[in-house]
Amino acid sequence: MPVWRLAWRVSQHEPKSFWVGWSCFVLFFTFPVANGWLLGRGFDAISRHDTGHVYVLAVLLALSEALRMASIHFGALIWTQAWVHMQTLVRSNLLAAQMASGGPEAGQPVGSAGEAVTHFRDDTEDVTMFVDGMVDVSAGVVFTVLAGFVLGSVDSNAALVLVVPLIGVALATRTLDSRIKRYRADDRLAAAAVSGLVGDLMASATTIKVNNAVDPSLSKLRDFVDRRRYTAVRDRVLDEGVQAFSQGAADIGLGLVLLVSAGALASGAFDVGRLALFTAYLGWLSFLPRMVGRVLARRKQFSVAMDRMRFLVADDLSANVVAPRSLPIAPRDVRPRLVPIRPDRIPLQSFAVRDLTAVFGSGAGVHDIDFELRRGTFTVITGPIGSGKTTLLRALLGLAHHADVRGEVLWNDRHLLDRAAFLVPPNCAFLPQVPQLVSDSVAENIALGPVDDERLRIALELAAVSDDIAAMPDGTATTIGPRGLRLSGGQRQRVATARALIHAPELVVLDDLSSALDVETELELWSNLAAAGMTVIAVSHRAVAFERADQILCLDNGRLSV
Amino acid sequence: MAPKPSGAQTSRFRALMALLRPDLLRWVGLGALLTVSSALSLGGPLVVRHIVDLATDGTTAARITGLAVIFLVIAVTTQFLSVVVAWFATITAWRTTNQIRLDMARHVLGLDHEFHRRHTPGELIQRVDGDVTSVSDFLGRVVPKAVGAAVLVFGMLVVLAFVDWRLAIGMAVYVVLAAWVVVRSRHRAVGESSDEMGSYARLYGGIEERLTAAEDLRANGAGTHAMWRFVEDSADTMHSALRRERAFLRMWWGVQGAVATGSVLTLAVSGLLVARNSITVGTAFLLFQYVLLLARPLEDVVHQLETVQKANGAMVRVIDLLAVRATIIDLGAVAPGPGALSVRFEHVSFDYGDSEPVLIDIDLDIGAGRSVGIVGRTGSGKTTLSRLLLRLVDSTDGTLALGGVPITDIALADVRRRVALIPQEVELVAGSVRDNVTLFDPVPTDEAVRNALRLAGLETLVAGGIDRPLGSGGAGLSAGEAQLLALARVWLRDPDLVVLDEATARVDPLTESRIEAGVRELMSGRTTVIIAHRLSTLRHVDEIVVVDHGRVVEHGDRSVLSELTNGRFRHLLELALDMDPADADPVLP
Repeated sequence: MPVWRLAWRVSQHEPKSFWVGWSCFVLFFTFPVANGWLLGRGFDAISRHDTGHVYVLAVLLALSEALRMASIHFGALIWTQAWVHMQTLVRSNLLAAQMASGGPEAGQPVGSAGEAVTHFRDDTEDVTMFVDGMVDVSAGVVFTVLAGFVLGSVDSNAALVLVVPLIGVALATRTLDSRIKRYRADDRLAAAAVSGLVGDLMASATTIKVNNAVDPSLSKLRDFVDRRRYTAVRDRVLDEGVQAFSQGAADIGLGLVLLVSAGALASGAFDVGRLALFTAYLGWLSFLPRMVGRVLARRKQFSVAMDRMRFLVADDLSANVVAPRSLPIAPRDVRPRLVPIRPDRIPLQSFAVRDLTAVFGSGAGVHDIDFELRRGTFTVITGPIGSGKTTLLRALLGLAHHADVRGEVLWNDRHLLDRAAFLVPPNCAFLPQVPQLVSDSVAENIALGPVDDERLRIALELAAVSDDIAAMPDGTATTIGPRGLRLSGGQRQRVATARALIHAPELVVLDDLSSALDVETELELWSNLAAAGMTVIAVSHRAVAFERADQILCLDNGRLSV
Repeated sequence: MAPKPSGAQTSRFRALMALLRPDLLRWVGLGALLTVSSALSLGGPLVVRHIVDLATDGTTAARITGLAVIFLVIAVTTQFLSVVVAWFATITAWRTTNQIRLDMARHVLGLDHEFHRRHTPGELIQRVDGDVTSVSDFLGRVVPKAVGAAVLVFGMLVVLAFVDWRLAIGMAVYVVLAAWVVVRSRHRAVGESSDEMGSYARLYGGIEERLTAAEDLRANGAGTHAMWRFVEDSADTMHSALRRERAFLRMWWGVQGAVATGSVLTLAVSGLLVARNSITVGTAFLLFQYVLLLARPLEDVVHQLETVQKANGAMVRVIDLLAVRATIIDLGAVAPGPGALSVRFEHVSFDYGDSEPVLIDIDLDIGAGRSVGIVGRTGSGKTTLSRLLLRLVDSTDGTLALGGVPITDIALADVRRRVALIPQEVELVAGSVRDNVTLFDPVPTDEAVRNALRLAGLETLVAGGIDRPLGSGGAGLSAGEAQLLALARVWLRDPDLVVLDEATARVDPLTESRIEAGVRELMSGRTTVIIAHRLSTLRHVDEIVVVDHGRVVEHGDRSVLSELTNGRFRHLLELALDMDPADADPVLP
């Protein structure tokens, strides 16, 4: 989708705040036309020594300035809302694509979360800056047309000569266009590298400390920030060069007016009132080329940002970055808590995997996997490290995003087209090897939606974590800190298990659940799952799991061995 | 926001000056450059004044043409200098703030484990990178413009004093009043700006956390829930942005009002003075141009005031963060003797600042070179023991000694050099395999890194080349492989005390048996503390400690405890044998 259409979509997300804000800005820019005219008349009166007239004009000038400021006061408040609305739209589309379980909205998952935050922070800023610049340009056009009309009627020769520096600005920006884009992209890469590394260092602060690696890590960071200084300076100098060109346009314009009117000035035909009018307008006239220059630069930044963001959304389509969405975030908006949209429960009779192959770019993966299972059975997958157990689970759940996946998965003998969308609660629940929690309450982390107390109680019992939670100061309302770090490793694992069990899924897929649990807790957990009659696929190396298993799949080097 | 006591302002200013000091010469050079460029921009209006006065008295077109050319030359030079100033300002600002980034990263890395438990990495990125970028924008963009404006005003007063001293005084009074209004309203806006940055830090922190947990959330159909939280956080940013904008508008009124008043006054005063023949029309025009000249930097500053607000808020947070002190204070200077370290806990108690004790009155003696297994239920305090040994936390009560020296008397760098930890959860960084083993240390040779990887059982990574990139968060490594990589880190460092905290928890039996020999080799000549709930891991240790509810309930030689009737360890062994023969102990009679 072309840049202009993308920007238009963003601007029309909340049309009311956009257009009210726009109108205020345009109004704001029409007052200087009146002010310049009043000043010109004022200097005429001064040179005629008509003091009374000067005072009248001064009062009128004061009035006009007051109105100008009132219009921008109102406009700025509305525009702030429009600004946050636009940024939130883009952010929400990125986040929704990253959070969607399959379906048309789901995008490719990002690598480093720390780096991805720059898309939500800097790239959305670039998008809004461009729309903002366009509003400035349209207001500048209104002023330029009105002022051009006034100047042209006063002295058409002097007015025409002003076109020269304006065209100069436009041409200079055109030539610098491609360079602006390249420098900006380099700068963003360097910035993302810095914040990615800072994020990594902060996330692994303890590891860095206990390995005595603070100094070497910081010297790596020094390399990164030095690189960023270089790219930032290049970017800024070019940006400033474009601006200097447009700001200089006002002074050069005045110089040209003086040159062209030298004769008229000497003869007194071009009087001081005219000079005042030209001077007053020139300050504002340079606004348009300056904004045009800036917008041209921002247009480049906008498309760089879009290029980076589209890889987060479905089908890598930039149109999906700006898709319309209802976002009740204005001060008086009501925000009802939405009921999560989940697929219909389809009772599981049989589950089958046919010829499933998932291969990563590096060549690692699983090949020709075939197995099936019935309701209420327990399937154990085992195999040495790196044999592809986790890849197999991800592939069958539709979560192997960066792999080339072939083959099919059947639910009650029906082929599943969008596995990621179907294999979520209440049909299926998955517990990764290292489960991730978020800084929220225990209840929110488990329910991931409105909390049903009875279901929550049952899930906690099943996951053998009831006693731990009951011992906490606020019970299930206890907040567990960033990434759940206030819990112990075992508690995190069991809270995540409760999360997988709360919707009584038809099928439970567990990636090495027992690894973080002690012997006694583990025993409790297995009996609970068996007693609840759950259908389970689990990765395990334990004999206790093998003994209970209805079938054992042994993976070796990405293939099932008998 | 309540006005801050002026002491806080002064200390903030002092802190800023301290940050600028290392690059002071460059900043002075920048000041000189700004002076030249501002002085030059005062010349243009003087040329126009001359033209107006000549035109009023009657002159030739040639003279005016000559003056117009001079005017043009000045205009072009001024713009050229502005680019040079921007170049020099940006390079200097980044030099300075890059140093602040590094200082802050070092400071935050030095803070306690408890601090990192309370703050998300996303929030810390915002502090160490985002906030410092705001300061950098302030130094590189706003400060040069503000200094340029100050030089401009000073030069303007000098020029006017030559024309008519009364004009200079009038202008001085006007500028002082305008500056007073701007500075007054600026201070009021700092609190709101800080709130806004805070609400954005929460928004981005939440987003970062959800992206990290993306697979969990996707697989559990939690999209709606994640979006609900996001909308709540966004509504918060809207609220704080509006409050900040209101505060911003107050000072905008101040500046714009000053400029408007300036041009109205110029008009009225000029009318009066010219009518009395006190000044020429050209001088009136000069006044008018100078007011316009003042408007430009003032408006620039208005545009940049947002950056000022941001930077001021950021500065507050940077200084606040730098003021957070680590409770682990590195005052030690005694080095324990070389070789394996003995460990002695004397009446050690620990709690995390709440009323619930984690460890109670621990007394434990581990001889140098011995290997000890620590067992106990989840939450019994085992992991806290490992944190004490690495001095990630200090005991609330009692003494912990390594090699006979209290751990608080040993230099922290020495502790970290001689004690190694293989934790429950291994953190990987975006970088090569080598980077992940050495944690960016350039000293170890490639061969040493390969060797460490082999010893840890990661032959496959060596075969793939150690300069191959590994993704952040361990993309491209299974959890078991990540655990092995942490083992390789220890091999590379050759410590005297090794603490393994569930180190082999995520490794399958086959791989485990492969590395078990390696771990046994690691034990030789070192003291080893192995925390485990999988008893098979403890087959080769000399002693066993059983921990329950923060107390040591059993300690002795493994061979003795495994045969002790009614012993806690023996009970655990029997339980494991019942449940899972894989955990059983082959040496059990």
